[in-house]
Amino acid sequence: MTAAHMVVFLLCAAGFAALALAMDRHQQDVLGRALPPRATQLLRGAGWALLLAALWQAVGAKGWALGLVAYSGHASAAAGLVFVALLAWNRWRGQ
Amino acid sequence: MSAKQTVAQAPGIRQTMSDLHIWTGLLAGWILYAMFLTGTVSYFKDEISRYMRPELPVAQALPDAGRTAEQVAAAILAQTPGTPQLGITLPTPRNPTASAFWRDPQAKGRGFGSGVFDPATGARLDARETRGGDFFYAFHFNFHYMPVIWGRWLAGLCAMFMLVAIVSGVITHKKIFTDFFTFRWGKGQRSWLDAHAALSVLGLPFHFMITWSGLITLMVLYMPWGLQSLAPPARQAVTSEMRFFVPPGKPAGEAAPLLPLAGFVQQAQARWGPDGAGTVQVNHAGDANARVLVARQQAQRVSTTPQYLLFDGVSGALLKTKDTSGPAATTQGVLYGLHLGRFADIATRWLYFLVSLAGTAMVGTGLVLWTVKRRARLPDPDKPYFGFRVAERLNIAAIAGLSVAMTAFFWGNRLLPMEMAQRANWEIHLFFIAWGLALAWALLRRPKRAWVELLWLAAALLALTPVLNALTTSRPLWRSLAQGDWVYAGLELTLLALAAVHAALALRTARHQPRARPVRKGGASQPPVPALPAEPVGEGA
Amino acid sequence: MTGAAALFAKARSVGPLVSRIVAAVCGGYALAALFSVAALALPGPLPEAAMTGMVASFLVYAGAVVWVFAVRSATRAWAGLAVAALVLLPLALWVRHGGAA
Repeated sequence: MTAAHMVVFLLCAAGFAALALAMDRHQQDVLGRALPPRATQLLRGAGWALLLAALWQAVGAKGWALGLVAYSGHASAAAGLVFVALLAWNRWRGQ
Repeated sequence: MSAKQTVAQAPGIRQTMSDLHIWTGLLAGWILYAMFLTGTVSYFKDEISRYMRPELPVAQALPDAGRTAEQVAAAILAQTPGTPQLGITLPTPRNPTASAFWRDPQAKGRGFGSGVFDPATGARLDARETRGGDFFYAFHFNFHYMPVIWGRWLAGLCAMFMLVAIVSGVITHKKIFTDFFTFRWGKGQRSWLDAHAALSVLGLPFHFMITWSGLITLMVLYMPWGLQSLAPPARQAVTSEMRFFVPPGKPAGEAAPLLPLAGFVQQAQARWGPDGAGTVQVNHAGDANARVLVARQQAQRVSTTPQYLLFDGVSGALLKTKDTSGPAATTQGVLYGLHLGRFADIATRWLYFLVSLAGTAMVGTGLVLWTVKRRARLPDPDKPYFGFRVAERLNIAAIAGLSVAMTAFFWGNRLLPMEMAQRANWEIHLFFIAWGLALAWALLRRPKRAWVELLWLAAALLALTPVLNALTTSRPLWRSLAQGDWVYAGLELTLLALAAVHAALALRTARHQPRARPVRKGGASQPPVPALPAEPVGEGA
Repeated sequence: MTGAAALFAKARSVGPLVSRIVAAVCGGYALAALFSVAALALPGPLPEAAMTGMVASFLVYAGAVVWVFAVRSATRAWAGLAVAALVLLPLALWVRHGGAA
């Protein structure tokens, strides 16, 4: 049961990481340059796909009611993790 | 003023929504912070209650629910034979004792007796008298030292302010998507704004849900007008969907033996699974009109709309099955259930706790942001205007002071004498005394010093609570870890983590140097500002 | 300025804001309450309609408060509330006079 939770969380985290990297500002922060539009589009698509996969996993494991609630919590926590990771990265790089 | 001038000065919607957000947030913020923090810990109120009753044994495997019901009922009826109504809450993994209430005309107060029972033997459990985690839960919407109704109106008012703050906050945050992951470190007001925005946006579904659903839990109090237009039977049909309560009804006056409760519990378990029985209520035990109700375990479903089986206590016949509700009632039940989170498994419960803690930090960062933003604009930082001074001091007491007070509650639990009269109430008095002392400290010391000192005090108290526990009980942290007692170990490890957070905040606040004030441009009424010294002086040191 | 004129000027500058606050706090609540009664006119069982009315009323209240401060003048704020009230009032009166029961 905890494995299901971990999977949902990790999918959300990957999804938000992809969505973050699909933004110019964070591309500059992490990669030092802006990516070409194709790559940006791919990242954005992948990000949303991963978030949807997480939802599917959550509902599959716990049903609609409990699944949606767990998903919402994992989404918030995972977004927070990506946020803190970006913050830590920028701090480490001395910005 | 010319019409052109008026139009040019009319603020845009983002500005007005920003002003609205700031005012509603500030005015309700100090109380909302307390509601949020006590609400956050309430997700673990059962665990806190167990921690505050160390005499109760470590949870064993739960005995059969039917047997528990019979033994507890027998214990109550032996003591109060003619009680018209008794209700037993069956033990759960999170709450492994049975609790019960019963009507007792002899009992002082509102004529109810209540107690906690050993589920295996039905014996009354004697733990130290304490409200436990239920104090934080009750404070969260009733506050204290005031009639419950006043407290609930105050909570509702603050909740409405919060709802408006959420809506206005979303409207005003124009870069809500592009700034989703943005944080500018070390930029003073902008950093606080980024933190506040991140905490708000990342947890937005929760914050909106928790505020709206909070209002819904007391909607019969806040918006009774529709109900008042209904005839009493229709009115009862509404309220009976919100809480499990079936009135005792009239006794027949002739004696008849009550069938064993285990049989009724088993029928509920056949319907809802082995963990399906949540509470057992017996009306007029021993009378010919006895009724037995078995209500479904709340933790099994999100919605809180009551589901129960109503039996004739003498013949055993199933008189009524309540297991459906209309869509509007279910919506209300789901929202109420989402607020309480009783259905949450341990992982979901931790998510609730973390996101709710983020909400608490959202309110706190908002309050601090208000003073940071205005401090930068003070014409004379050593003489801020009255409103600023009030806000600054209240921030310290409401935020750092509350941490001190909540920890003092645990300290009181361990240190107050067992046999003390009104012991449970005195634990609560200690909470408020500590909070009041923190407020006094915040008023007497310079603001920055008060912040640092109270944060360090909270950190120290939190870190020393496991030490206090080791000295005053036989359940120190190392034993809890060795035994796999995750309630005790988890709680103490969390206290240590929170201590670290408070210490980090104290360190950062102590090290904070306000940025050098830029020379003011064009302020004809002000004397020219001399070259700034190397060490900034004066501002809140 | 003379004392009276200064006072009058102050009242004029603060008046619209006070008016909006009253409209938001009191007018918003009144509108939400009116909504919760008018909701009983919804089709379906009465207890269900009553639930819907109560649950949604807080959103009506919050919406009304945001409206009051979003519009360009205090007058417009009151006008908007009045229009919404006029729409709901007939339903509420119909309910009160036993129309839905």
